[in-house]
Amino acid sequence: MATETAPAPTEREEAEHDHHPEHLQHHFVSSKQQFDSAKLGMWVFLITEVLLFSGMFVAYAVFRQWNPDVFAAASGTLDQAMGAANTVVLLTSSLTVALAIHAIKQDRVQRCIYYLLGTLGLAGGFMVVKYFEYMAKFEHGVFPGAAFDPHGAHYEHLAEMTAAPQFFSIYFVMTGIHGVHVIIGMIVIGVLALMAWRGSFSSEWYTPVELTGLYWHLVDIVWIFLFPLLYLI
Amino acid sequence: MAHDGPHIVPKSILLKVFGALIVLTGLTVGVAYVPLGPLTVPVALGIAGLKATLVVLFFMHLKYDNPVNALTFTIGTIFVVVFVTITLLDTAFRGDLGNVTAQTVQEIQAEQERAQQRQDAIPSDSLRIAPSDYPNQDRGASMESDEGS
Repeated sequence: MATETAPAPTEREEAEHDHHPEHLQHHFVSSKQQFDSAKLGMWVFLITEVLLFSGMFVAYAVFRQWNPDVFAAASGTLDQAMGAANTVVLLTSSLTVALAIHAIKQDRVQRCIYYLLGTLGLAGGFMVVKYFEYMAKFEHGVFPGAAFDPHGAHYEHLAEMTAAPQFFSIYFVMTGIHGVHVIIGMIVIGVLALMAWRGSFSSEWYTPVELTGLYWHLVDIVWIFLFPLLYLI
Repeated sequence: MAHDGPHIVPKSILLKVFGALIVLTGLTVGVAYVPLGPLTVPVALGIAGLKATLVVLFFMHLKYDNPVNALTFTIGTIFVVVFVTITLLDTAFRGDLGNVTAQTVQEIQAEQERAQQRQDAIPSDSLRIAPSDYPNQDRGASMESDEGS
């Protein structure tokens, strides 16, 4: 076994070996090593997520650089108040997920469940705001791609801009894929709340909560960049 | 560290970071109404970068973590910068790199215009030499027979 080949296992590690925590898999030396490996794996996954979104950010940068005036005008038709509200909602959900991890590290399971459910509620609120934003656009023929046919007082001027469809294609794809991430996060956070309710987590083992927290913060970070780039400038 | 009790970021720090994030959100909305000209995008990206840094360091615990996680994240971020920069180096300067002579584009255009004017000054019938100078005839030099038909 790995612990036997290690030159000098510390007392702590020996104690843990006797202790044999249920969550500790045999190919790991210690709980700490298992936790660190899981976390590093999550960071590697998050980098692939960052690169997924960066492809779309590059598309945004290229088309904005080619058509700065059109992008500024098209961005003016997005609802800044809704965008700002959603930013605050997502930042708050990031705080609640951080507080859920804070609670489970201290074995406060009940509190952890409340914070997870709070995060779930905020994420749902984000999607509701997003739904109303999308519907307001669709009503005026502002669709992604070839269906782009803006009409109505607030949107008419977009019809004459050759690059306006590109802005809205980028807008819908970026916020759409971000929204898919929010929905996936909601499902995972719901499962976590259920697991916590069944007593699966404690300060000894809360790896899924920690990793989901990392994922959720990344979703938040993507929105931190999307909000000013799409809505404000 | 799990059995020693995991490292816990104090709640006060989490709340302060959250407060800073909200303030910075207000700031980025505020500066959107200030005409900054060419600085608009850098300022917006700067504030967003600061917010992202706060989230990564404190909410995502990277400040207190095993440094290998920070290394992973930093390398990934560098690749994003490479991705954006190299792409923009192409798309932002398209059309400027075709002209590799000492003449400027205006000089070349002026020269072409002068050549065109000289061409226009010559009566179009006076320089017929080759069969191809007679565009309405597709059978070479048999001019007489064509005129007769």
